[in-house]
Formats: sequence, structure tokens, C-alpha cells
Amino acid sequence: MNGHEIIFEEVSKFYGEVLGVNRVSLRVPPGITSLVGPNGSGKTTLMNLMCGLIHPDRGSISVRGLSPRDPERMMRITGYATQFDAAPRWATGFDFVTTALLLFGYSRKEAERKAWKALELVSLTDAAMRKVAGYSKGMRQRVRLAQAIAHDPQVLVLDEPLNGLDPLVRAETIALFREWGAQGRHVILSSHVLQEVDVISDQVILIANGMIVAEGEIRGVRDEISEHPSQYIIRCRDASRIASLLFDEDHVTEVRLNDDRLGLLVLTKNREEFSKALSRIALAGHDIEGVIPADENVDALYEYLIGGGR
Amino acid sequence: MSPRFQMRQAWTIATIEMRRAFFSKRAFWVYLLALFPSVIFIGHGIDSKIRLDRYKSRGVVAPAALDSIRAGMTDQEVIAKLGAASEDDSHTSRKRERTGDDEDGKRKWEEKVTHHRRLAYFDGSRRANFWFEEGILRDSQVGELLNFEEDRSVFAAVFQYFYLRLAIFFGCLGIFMNLFRGEMLDKTLHFWFLAPARREVLLLGKYLAGLVASSVIFTAGALLCFAAMLWPHSPSEVAAYWQGSGMGHTFRYALAAMLGCVGYGSVFLAAGLLLRNPIIPAVVLLTWEGINGFLPDVLQKLSVLYYLQSLCPVPAPTDPGMPALLKLILSPAAPASPWVAVLGLLAVTALVLWAAAQAVKRLEINYSTE
Amino acid sequence: MAVYKRGYQRYQGPVTGHAMRLLAMPRYAWERLMQQRLMIVMLALSCIWPLLCAVFIYISNHTELWSGLGGGVSKMLEINGQFFLIFMNTQATFSVMLAAMAGPGLIAPDLANNALPLYFSRPLTRFDYVLARLTTLVGMLSLVTWVPGLALFFMQVGMAQSGWFGKNWDLGLGILAGFLMWILIVSLVALASSAYVKWKLIAGALILGFFFILAGVAAMINGVFRVDWGSLINPSKAMYSVWCWLMGVETPRGMDVSSCVGVLVGLVFLLGMVLERKLRPVEVIS
Repeated sequence: MNGHEIIFEEVSKFYGEVLGVNRVSLRVPPGITSLVGPNGSGKTTLMNLMCGLIHPDRGSISVRGLSPRDPERMMRITGYATQFDAAPRWATGFDFVTTALLLFGYSRKEAERKAWKALELVSLTDAAMRKVAGYSKGMRQRVRLAQAIAHDPQVLVLDEPLNGLDPLVRAETIALFREWGAQGRHVILSSHVLQEVDVISDQVILIANGMIVAEGEIRGVRDEISEHPSQYIIRCRDASRIASLLFDEDHVTEVRLNDDRLGLLVLTKNREEFSKALSRIALAGHDIEGVIPADENVDALYEYLIGGGR
Repeated sequence: MSPRFQMRQAWTIATIEMRRAFFSKRAFWVYLLALFPSVIFIGHGIDSKIRLDRYKSRGVVAPAALDSIRAGMTDQEVIAKLGAASEDDSHTSRKRERTGDDEDGKRKWEEKVTHHRRLAYFDGSRRANFWFEEGILRDSQVGELLNFEEDRSVFAAVFQYFYLRLAIFFGCLGIFMNLFRGEMLDKTLHFWFLAPARREVLLLGKYLAGLVASSVIFTAGALLCFAAMLWPHSPSEVAAYWQGSGMGHTFRYALAAMLGCVGYGSVFLAAGLLLRNPIIPAVVLLTWEGINGFLPDVLQKLSVLYYLQSLCPVPAPTDPGMPALLKLILSPAAPASPWVAVLGLLAVTALVLWAAAQAVKRLEINYSTE
Repeated sequence: MAVYKRGYQRYQGPVTGHAMRLLAMPRYAWERLMQQRLMIVMLALSCIWPLLCAVFIYISNHTELWSGLGGGVSKMLEINGQFFLIFMNTQATFSVMLAAMAGPGLIAPDLANNALPLYFSRPLTRFDYVLARLTTLVGMLSLVTWVPGLALFFMQVGMAQSGWFGKNWDLGLGILAGFLMWILIVSLVALASSAYVKWKLIAGALILGFFFILAGVAAMINGVFRVDWGSLINPSKAMYSVWCWLMGVETPRGMDVSSCVGVLVGLVFLLGMVLERKLRPVEVIS
């Protein structure tokens, strides 16, 4: 499995006296993985370490069995769209992507074909022949993405990839990530738009102050935090009655009635017991239209785990 | 990956970078440095030809008569010997001179009035200026309007003092520092580091780009300047020179310019990688190369300039304005043989590039500290 | 209509004057410069020559130390315009090096990081900004130029016989005026370079290159055309001629003092134009 995972072993990185990341150990399987954490928490440091732009002071990193210190082999299977907003002054969008492809050993013709395809994927063909220096922030974001995906990498690392994209392109990009994740590739991204990460991620890595605070599938991470009450929204006609029934349960810590009296928010410490209680209520003849987990998203975890760090 | 593929990658990097080195706005200054001496020599050529025609039209005196003029002769005697001058101008100067202090300690002044006259003659190749004070010849200047030997010596000085010490030095500073440190400042270096290429290959590619650009610009600049120096001279004189040592001289000037780019380029490339502020080593190197001639023989051999000067075919004249004390302690070391000079420079370059390769492997992208 | 609670109050206390506001920038800049180890090393190196000159003045004024050495030595040890001219030349070189180190960091980072709007959104004009930056450099370069120059002059005044000052008071004035003109030009070159290239690194090279390459070009013109006027485009040589005139020493051949002053004034004007053109708080990307 090692050859298909990204592995961090006890990795530490310091910038002088400032902590970048501290003793990070991770195993990232293929699929879409989101790095979530407040500004300065170490997300970009992890990505830079993964792609060899910086080197760890301690520990080791392996990307699908390859070392980031061997860019000749590793970057052949890796694409990284960084957050650095600068681009070479001389380049048009098309040149920018083509030039990078030439270093892979493609012929100019093949490089141009691949560059054009990548620009099509990010909907940037109209502006392809304009200088990157004159692009808007969103366009620069897209051209970096095009460069990262142009050589069809197995590992795609994207630092805040959805920043500045308009809704249409954003939806298309997310669809692309999903497709790539489903193909067994690594898609590692960081984002501050937590709902988006929640929607597209197979797994999440929460990071704060240079340390990993949680990792795994969103549901799995959620389960591990047993002391933290889970939230559910129940849609029902007889909300007041169901609320009073739920109050009798030991595991329920809080119930809030919706203004329309057709729903309620329940906080419980035990998901299994809550599930059993709901069954009992339904069997007793109370009409429950639906139960929706309200906090099984990264945002809630983020709030809970990182709290004031945001 | 095979070495052949790596060489191809290095060349791809070089071609991409060369476009930047040759055609960026910043390259304008490098072109200016390389081509400006040619402009001056072309200007000199045009000026000489115009003056030659003008002086000829105003009358030519016999060379022997011109040589017979001695200091202390009167202006009338000179005119009697050479005839009316092609240029004759005069002026009167008034100068206040301090003659001492009086008893009260006040300064005493006296006004001195002097009548000056200048007579100019031309003998077909030489131009003579005679300066008279109160009608007596005090100073004269006789020189060939176009002296091939002298011009070649001037070119040697321009090549060694301007091209090697300044133009190639500062040109390479700009071009080679731009390759890594410049990209750090532009926040674009990470694009190269994310390419599937070894860092050493990247270094080689960028060095090649800088080397090709600087060598082409400065070698072409120096050769153009050399051609501009030859241009106003008589074709027979130039042909004779060309059949003699001319070709060899041209080759050695071109080689010295190219090796200058090889040596200084590697030093500045390494400095850009090893230090955040490479201006400090640049100042140190500039000072070191500047005082090179005053150092003991052993230390002189530790400079790039020593090897480059060893390749120059004509020794550069020393600055006539140099203080006597400095002239006394100036002791250039015996030049190295051309082979030693070339191999010595290449060896130093290889060593510096090896150090740069170690530095580039360790280099991290951290733009915030720039 | 929404009415928001007013959560702030305008500052109504006393404010500092214009000059004090201007001095805030040099104050921080000096502090930052003095934190650089290399700057301290350079400043220390710049003090070596003045110290040697001080020793020379001491020796020249203690005849008992060299009375047995003859009249030639007494001529050599004379403290006159030539002595101060050599001192000024040496310190001028150090001032260029210091400007190459300190100057690039004054404007280039502000332009590179688009920080000019931050300054100009305060009660500071573009002229104020340049003046503040200029003050930083002039202050720094004064430490190695006219300050030690005048110290040496007054040391000589104190040690020499009573008539010396009466006969040579113009040397002190020459040192002050000559150095002030020089550091103004060096500072303007440093600021213009810093504004022109936006890169700290290249700005440093440009400052050095400006003086060294112009000297080279001047020598080249003189050599190729067999003239002396080429030296006029060498600001160091032009300045040297003005110093010679100020110190009562013979000026170099072909260097008319009024032409030199004209060239230097023209240079100041040109550098001012560069600053005026480059220091704008907007940038248009074409």
C-alpha cells in the first residue's frame, strides 16, 4: 500500500524560531483529501514539504513511494498549484503551461496539445494568448491549475484552488476533482471555504498550530469525538411533543424548537442511543418526516476542534 | 533518467531562459554596456575623417618643417617657417596672485595679465598645436590624427579596463543574479522547482542561458568595437595587420571576453544562491579585482582578471593620471601562458559551479524572507 | 433608516508638527540599518582612515617627534588643502559603498510591495517621502564624511599654532560644503536607483555601477578622442575638481570648475526627474 500513499513520518519544519509543522505523521490514501486549518496553521507548509519546495528539519516524506528530494521522478507524477500569485512577466497563459510541459520531455507539438487541453478544462482558452501578468486573480488561479494538471498527474496538490473562481468554473473544477479522486489519484487541497471542502472531500486533515488535530473520513473523525454532542435536525409535525419525549432521554443535552414548530434541533452525546430513541418515538405513532445530521461537516468539526483559533 | 535526457532538459531550460536574458527590458542595460564603446569608436572614426578632410582643405605643411619647431621660438619665427596657421586664436588671461601677507596679516594680491596664442598646423597625417605665452612657445602637442598603433593600444586599454573590469563584471552581475535571486524576488522560482528536473540540471540550464546571452552580447560588443577601431584607418594598414597578428588578436580578445563571462558568471550565479545580499561579495570582488595589480604575485593569481589579462594580446597602458606613489607599487605579475589561463579559469569555474550545485539542492522556497 | 451606534471617537489630542512626522521615517530607517551587522562593519571600516589622519595630524603638530628628519619631511607632514583632499577622496569611496548597502532598502521594497499608497494615505506628500528618505541617507553618510572631516579640521586648529585657523578657515568651510554636495549626489543616485529598478539587489549594483561605469566611460572618451573633457561625465571627477577649487588645490587638466558645477547641477536635476517619474502610488500593467 506504501506505493499508493502519501506518508509523513514524524515530520517537523521550523522557519528559524517559528514553528511550521511539528512531528506530523500522516498516511494519506488516494482520493480527495482536504487540509483544513486557520491561517498560519501549517497547511501550505505541509503542501510545500510534500512537493519538495521546502525540506523537513526532521522526519521523512514519501509520495507514492518517491522522495520529494527527487523532483526528477516525483514531479513527473505530481502537479502542484501553489498559492503564490506571481507569474513570469514574459509568459502568456498558453506559453506558461506549454513551457512547463516541455520540461517533461514532450515534443513542442504534444506540449501545445496538452496545454490547450488543460486550458480548456479550466475554461481559459479565450484568454490563453494574453499575458499572465494582466490576468485577474481568478484567471491566474485557473492558469496555475491548468499548469498543475496539464501532465495528467497521479498526485494533485492544490493550495486554496477554489479561491477566486466563479460559480460555474468552480462547479466544473469540483467535478474534475471528484472524477480524479474516483480514478484512484490523490487530490489534496486546502481551502477556507469549508462547505466546499465538506462536499467534495473523502477525508479531512485538521491542522492547528502546526500539529494535526484530526484526520480521516469526515464521519470517522466525527465519531472519534464522542464527548462532543452530535447535532440532528428533525422535521416533524408534532415538534413540541417530540421535544418533550427527547428531553426524557439521558443522552440528549439540548433540544431547540424551530420557529415554525415543524422541526427541532437536538444535541446528543450518544448517536446509537439517539437512534434507538427516535425509533421508539416513531413506533409510538409520532410522525417524523426526516432526520438530518446537522454537524457532520468540516465546519462543525473545525469549530469544535480548533475553536478560538479561527 | 538518462544523461542525454538530462542534457536535453538543461538545454530546454536554457532556451526558455535565454529569451528572458536576451529580450527582457532589463537586458537593455546590458546591451548598452556592451555596445557603448563601439559607439565611441565609431564617433572617433567619423570625427577623424571629418577633421582630416577639414585640415587638408586648410593647407598642409612639410613634415620636416613641423619637426624643426622648438620651445622658446617666437610666434613670428614659427609663422615664418610654417606659413599661416590653419587655426590661429588668442586670448588674454588675468590672474590674481597672492604675493604674501602685509604687517597686519592681511593678504596681498597682484594681478598678472598674460597674452596667449595658439597656432595649429597639419602635415598630412600629424596635427600640431603650438601654445605661446607673450609670444614665446611654451607648449606644443604634435600627434597623428589617426595612429594605428596608438588606437590599438587605446582599444587594449578599453578592453581591459572597461570591458573586463566593468562591462562584463556588471553585465554578468545583472544577468546571472537574475537567474535565481531575481526569480526569488519575482516569486516565480517555484515554477522551476516543480518541474521534473534535478536541481543540478536546472542550475546547468540557467547557467548555460546566462553564459550564451552574456558571451554573445559581450563578445559581439567587443568585436564590434574592435572593428570600429580599425574602420577609419587606411585599408592597406588594416590589411597588413590582418595578415600579420590581426586574426590572432581578434581571437584572443573574443576568448578573453567569453572566458570573462564564464568566470564572473559562475561567481555571480553562486553568490546569488549562497547569499541573500550578493552585493557584498560583488563589492569585495570589485575591490579585489581593482587592487589586483598592487598585490603580491601569488595573490594576483587568485583573481579572474589575472587570467583574462594574460589572454589579452596587447598590454594596456597604465593610467597617465595615476599618482606616482601608486605607479611605484604597481607590479603586475608575469602573465600566465594562454593554456594555463584558460584551464585555470575553467577549473575555478567548475569549482564554483560545484558549490552552486550544492547550494541549489538545499535551496528552499521562502519568498517572505526576501 | 438604520442608525448605528458610534463606536469610535476622533483623536482630539495634540499632533506633532510636519517636521517631526517627517523624521519618523528616518528614525525607523536608521534603527533598522543599525541592526545590520554588515552596516556596522562598514561604518567601522569607514572610521579607519579618519583615525589614521588624526594620528597624522598629531604627528605633524609634534615637531619633536621628527625634528631630526630634515626639511623634506616637514613639507610632507604639512596639513593643508592637499591633505584634506586626500581624506575627502577616501571617505567619498566609503560613502558610495555605504550608499550601495543602505540605499536600495529605502525605496525598492516600498515599490515592490506596493506600499507607496500606504505612505501617501498619511499626511505625507511625495516630496515629503523623498525628503525623509534623503534625510536617512544624508544622515548616515554624514557619519563618515563631513563629521569626521570637521573633527579633523578642528583637531588641527586646536593643535596648530594660533595663526593657522586665520589662514585656513576656508578649508573647514570647503570640507563641509564639498561633502554636503557629494552626499547629496550620492544619496540621490541611491534613491533614484532604488526607485528605478524596484529590486534591492540590482539597485545596489546600479549604485556601484553608476559611479564605476561612468568613470570608465569618461576615461574611454578621453582615451579614444584624446581629450580631457570626457571626465565631465564622471561625477566623481567633476566633484573632485570642485573640491580642488574649494581646498585651493590645482584642478585637474581640462576640468573647468564652472562646467563641473553645471554638470553636477544637471545630474541632480536628472535624478530628481527619475524620482518624480518613478514614485507614483499606482502601477499600470500593460
